[in-house]
Amino acid sequence: MQQSPFIQGLMDIVGPEYVICHPEDLLVYEYDGSVDRSMPRAVALPENADQVSRILALAYQAGVPVAGRGSGTGLSGGALAAPGGIQIAFTRMNHILEVDTENRTATIEPGVINLDLDTHVRKFGMRYAPDPSSQKACSLGGNIAENAGGPHCLAYGATTNHVLGMDVALEDGTQVYLGSTAREVPGYDLRGVFVGSEGTFGIATRITVRLLPLPETVKTFMGVFPDIDSACSAVSAVIGHGIVPAALEMIDALSIRAVQNVTDAGYPDDAGAVLLIELEGLWEEVDEVSREVESALWETGASDVRVAEEDSERERLWLGRKTAFGAFGTIAPNYYLVDGVVPRTRLTQVLRKVSEVSERYGIIIANVFHAGDGNLHPCMLFDEREPGVKDRAMAGAAELMEYCVEMGGSLSGEHGIGLEKKQFMPLVYTEEDLARMKLVRDAFAPANHLNPGKIFPDGEEYEPTPQRTPGQVDPGWYV
Amino acid sequence: MTSDFTQQLVTLLGPDEVQATDGYAVDGMVPHAVARPADRQGVAELLCWASANGVTVFPRGGGVFTALGNLPSRVDVALDLSRLNRVLDYQPADLTVTAEAGITLESLRRELAQGDKYVPLEAPLPHRATVGGILAAGYSGPMRYSYGLPRDWLIGIGVAGTDGVETKAGGRVVKNVTGYDLNKLYTNSLGTLGIIVETTFKLAPVPDTWAGMTAAFPSISTAVAACRSLVSQVYAPLGLQVVTPCLAGKLGLDLPVDARAVALGFVAGRPRAVARRLYESARLLGESGAIHVETVAETTARNLLGSLTDLPWSDTDPPYLALKITLPPRNAGTLVESLGGDGDGAGAWDLIADPGFGAVQLLRWAAGNTGAVDASAIMADIGAVRHAAANLGGSTVVETCPPEVKAGMDVWEGAAGPAELAIMRRIKDKFDPAGILNPGRFVGGL
Repeated sequence: MQQSPFIQGLMDIVGPEYVICHPEDLLVYEYDGSVDRSMPRAVALPENADQVSRILALAYQAGVPVAGRGSGTGLSGGALAAPGGIQIAFTRMNHILEVDTENRTATIEPGVINLDLDTHVRKFGMRYAPDPSSQKACSLGGNIAENAGGPHCLAYGATTNHVLGMDVALEDGTQVYLGSTAREVPGYDLRGVFVGSEGTFGIATRITVRLLPLPETVKTFMGVFPDIDSACSAVSAVIGHGIVPAALEMIDALSIRAVQNVTDAGYPDDAGAVLLIELEGLWEEVDEVSREVESALWETGASDVRVAEEDSERERLWLGRKTAFGAFGTIAPNYYLVDGVVPRTRLTQVLRKVSEVSERYGIIIANVFHAGDGNLHPCMLFDEREPGVKDRAMAGAAELMEYCVEMGGSLSGEHGIGLEKKQFMPLVYTEEDLARMKLVRDAFAPANHLNPGKIFPDGEEYEPTPQRTPGQVDPGWYV
Repeated sequence: MTSDFTQQLVTLLGPDEVQATDGYAVDGMVPHAVARPADRQGVAELLCWASANGVTVFPRGGGVFTALGNLPSRVDVALDLSRLNRVLDYQPADLTVTAEAGITLESLRRELAQGDKYVPLEAPLPHRATVGGILAAGYSGPMRYSYGLPRDWLIGIGVAGTDGVETKAGGRVVKNVTGYDLNKLYTNSLGTLGIIVETTFKLAPVPDTWAGMTAAFPSISTAVAACRSLVSQVYAPLGLQVVTPCLAGKLGLDLPVDARAVALGFVAGRPRAVARRLYESARLLGESGAIHVETVAETTARNLLGSLTDLPWSDTDPPYLALKITLPPRNAGTLVESLGGDGDGAGAWDLIADPGFGAVQLLRWAAGNTGAVDASAIMADIGAVRHAAANLGGSTVVETCPPEVKAGMDVWEGAAGPAELAIMRRIKDKFDPAGILNPGRFVGGL
């Protein structure tokens, strides 16, 4: 088949079998974990940094915008191609290149799956701390683009706290090394500002991350509460005791039901909310702090407190937490996840607002989230075949985001702004604030050729692929 | 000229916000005038005026790190931010605090202690060092191995640009990916991109107790090797430093006569855990060649930590030469050995090594009444250290040196590769198009 010179150029770089350009093959690349869709013109699957650079140079010369794509699990449209644009997918660049036990670092390719790295380095008594709920599937390159978080960020910080150095390909294909394998390096912290730039500054092709030693003792608590309010007071009581656990997660009644539909995580069916609290450290610390955590849970109205000390029990509790979003499929086929973050003392207030919004808009909302750092995840559940429901869900989500900002919070704790939150940026930032941010983008990518139209409210509008025949497929056929 | 600048500032800001220039010299260069605005409005007005008139501006908090950087090309106005010293919003239950950038670390610590919280920043002379200055210098102290760097605690920032417009990044929540993380960009930029006026930090609970330990070793290389094996243990101290005997003397430690190095360990937290860390660390160091190990209690430990942090930046007994090398931690021992002294000492240097983090500070104090500085000998010594550090994946910053030495060198030499530097330069040109903020002082002459 005769290809356009541009597609032929891509094929010359990576080989014809690693360029995807037939519309039916591209279907899986038109969406990520968010609600937006955009069909790429083509997807190239390079196997090394040199090919990435050459693809970027080719696209730059041809005026074709580029988006990087790891596993497509992102929740803000970060991996979607701009109109007329292509994706570089990192499926083949998935090698762990080096584990340096003495310096406690690992060097990896961007397509390595988060959990694969963690599992691998545990053999050496270390771990990679950021653990997004999608860690079984999400890639580290994507984690860097979005500055991904996860339950254990409460104690160990988000991705940005764990990235040391990176080889990066810029929009025109130029390669640059940012950071160092040392913990600190003089000069502007370009690696720091690159992490979380949502693929608009460049594409990381080789990454050195910091590893942490495994703790001596880990203990996980499940606090069972009759309602959300009492669970929120438990969160405040724990933090107020001067305890910062390794993780502190909340799961509401609806989410408990969804989880228990697909796996037995041991969450009681009749609970109003469950808190998962994990403590780590020296045996003496964990022992002392656990008693304080336990009494804080009882004092704030827990109906039951269970302790998992065996790995298997702990894994079961966490399995529930990490499968929650998938389990929502048993309630409704579509979800939209709000990622607002508020000062943790405002949790009760904000969660009341969530249930009020749920009633007013007639949208089921489940809550499973990082309570310890105030990072909410109200999950709007709907079936997009029902006319108007998606718009209602989005309107409700907008109201919740506004409320988070009003409470002194922010739009996104760990998922990124991307496409679907960009119009809300003026709630948080002035035009001048945003202009300053753009100066940095212009220094990395003067032609704005990478992931254009995202993050900023005045960005180019994506024309989403039209929904395919909603309502014409029988219920039960959608997955 | 001097009176002219001062006169213009008086007209612009009022007489109360203009200061005498004594004590404001930058590398021996006295500014023409000193502005000390009472509020952020004053900072903005000064920057607008400076931009319009091509006047160079040297931001300053407590003046602790003023020596850091290359020789400035021209010093017009020093901008003293010490009046921006209020805590704006302290939420102990949320573990966050927002404060103006000119507040000293000591004042901030005192205010935070009232709510039993703690900001894990460290700085020499905390009664003078301001949080804005600590951020601009990216300064970290002896606990950096476990505390991390200032960048790890900053969650929000307000910065006055050279156009006088104040912008913010981040916020007051502990987790936030809303927009680019400009917190990281402003931290460690030495005031070359804007003037930090407001800062928000996440906080930690105040540790229940502190303690410390000292372990004397017969050689530097044994001490570093012992500490390297200690940091891989779960019970390792939270801060661990190796110093040479002369520095131990300055810290008031009594050493056995045959000691050539001392390891200092600091621990904080719950009492039982602190006790175990001390006990097991002392045992391991004893088994790893220490000739004498002592533990020290809370107050002594904290004083020792404070004195150690102050040492390289002391205002009463400052070194005339101070280098800081950061490198992959595994290579700290190799670097120390390369300094000469047969692993016995550190050759002609005094040294503070952080074997867990991968940092080595090399220091020299003048012995008695020295005459003229032998600039070329010093340059050669610095060159040798740079070369050794670079071969080990490290970078070297000359933090303090005599002006006649500084005149002939780039104190940041080798900090960034050409491609990385090109991006830094584009950022600088966009944020400070007229080149008025700390011109010429930073990496690559930014």
